[in-house]
Amino acid sequence: MSSAAAFGMSRLRFVLAHALIATVVGGSLYDIAARMEHWPFSNYPMFAEIHRTDLLRWPRIYGVTRDGTELPIVSYRELWPLDQSRLPIGLRAIYNEPGSSARIHEALRDVLQRYEQRREAGEHSGPALVGLRLYLVTWEVEPFARNLAAPSRRQLLSSVMLENRVAAR
Amino acid sequence: MRRAAAALRRGWLRFWFEPSAPTNLAVSRIVVYAPLAVFYAVHDYAIWGRVSPALYQPIWLFRTLHLPVLAPATLDVLQTVWKVSLFTAAAGLFTSASCALTALLGVYLIGLPHNFGQTYHFDAAIVFAFATLACSRCGDALSIDAWIAGPSHRGPSASGEYTWPIRLMWVTLSLVFFAAGVAKIWTSGVEWVTSDQMTLLLERVQYHISDADPVTNWGSYIARYSLLPRVLAAATMIIETTYPLALLRTRARPFIVLAGIGLIVGIRLLMGPTFEHFLLLNAFWVPWDRVGAWLRLRVRHGASVIDRSPIHV
Repeated sequence: MSSAAAFGMSRLRFVLAHALIATVVGGSLYDIAARMEHWPFSNYPMFAEIHRTDLLRWPRIYGVTRDGTELPIVSYRELWPLDQSRLPIGLRAIYNEPGSSARIHEALRDVLQRYEQRREAGEHSGPALVGLRLYLVTWEVEPFARNLAAPSRRQLLSSVMLENRVAAR
Repeated sequence: MRRAAAALRRGWLRFWFEPSAPTNLAVSRIVVYAPLAVFYAVHDYAIWGRVSPALYQPIWLFRTLHLPVLAPATLDVLQTVWKVSLFTAAAGLFTSASCALTALLGVYLIGLPHNFGQTYHFDAAIVFAFATLACSRCGDALSIDAWIAGPSHRGPSASGEYTWPIRLMWVTLSLVFFAAGVAKIWTSGVEWVTSDQMTLLLERVQYHISDADPVTNWGSYIARYSLLPRVLAAATMIIETTYPLALLRTRARPFIVLAGIGLIVGIRLLMGPTFEHFLLLNAFWVPWDRVGAWLRLRVRHGASVIDRSPIHV
């Protein structure tokens, strides 16, 4: 009796099961060994790198209201379908590419337009915005993020304004 | 040498294909699919078709297979079919086709957001679960299909068919934890435990840098102490790297699995990342047939009689 029959399986099903096992295990072990990521395979590197200083540098989007006030935009509802991690990390990657100023401008415009459309539709309660600014923000990390609203440094990377709102001013 | 190879082969076959009843796989199917069907029902994937191409940074899978970001209307149709298939898979209606759809459409829809900015890790194992269940005979029991087919058309009472999908999910979960542990060791070594990194990490995540904020600010309280963050770091590394020991026939298995669950819950409470639905995959560790037998015994003997015999996982 073959192995497959001994376990109540047809030969075809037995081969299929082995093929799937080999794919999942092989792909996972490859990414672990090669320290690479081929989603859905991954070496799960999150939090693996250690931080040696209490300085936190993070790209953050600030909304600009009609009176010029800047407010950090971190709420999921306001950034949807992006979020406070996915969006700034993506923008930072684009920013670091040479000659990407037009692209990052377009990306910010897209985020701003969706923010305003959703606000006008009542899908979030954020303030009306006339622009977005992307900063690289630096904090000296404090307990409970007490200095969250007062970073030690902000470096403007890019900004975008809604043309019709600017023209109306 | 030949004897060792034969023993290895026997061990391999026993691990993956030791005949078992269809109950555990069937209950796992329901426990995984039903909450995910509800969870994803309110998720809108069509919106990704409206996000500017300027933000598109394709991951390996989409780049290699030349998978495009489809138009919102097309995505809407796909996600509707996918969401319905999640419910029908949970119910065991057209189980094979439903599970195949959850896997095929799921890998595209779940993968889609990862092309915009950052690859998250909380749903990759879900994709493997869908693929595994799609290739399995998880609808042979506790399904509408089995009920319609009637007793005469049901599958065998015990088969390797009902074992390998469960074991593959055990291995998948083990590889996830193991990979995370190995990544820490290779990247940072023992410093990951002995340095101030956990203290800094617990404080950093309070600054809205994770995909979701930590549920609590307890991290800042823990960070006040010198030793506690290091104990947490050491526990994390030990749980992650030793998790594959749960694959062995050991009494420690329930504790290892519970430690893994505790780690995921701890990450959500203290750091933010949303691994909640990853927790559902622990359903594959539960010996549902024994849970069922235990419950039946309790019902038969009445609520007043307490059966003190433990359920061995």
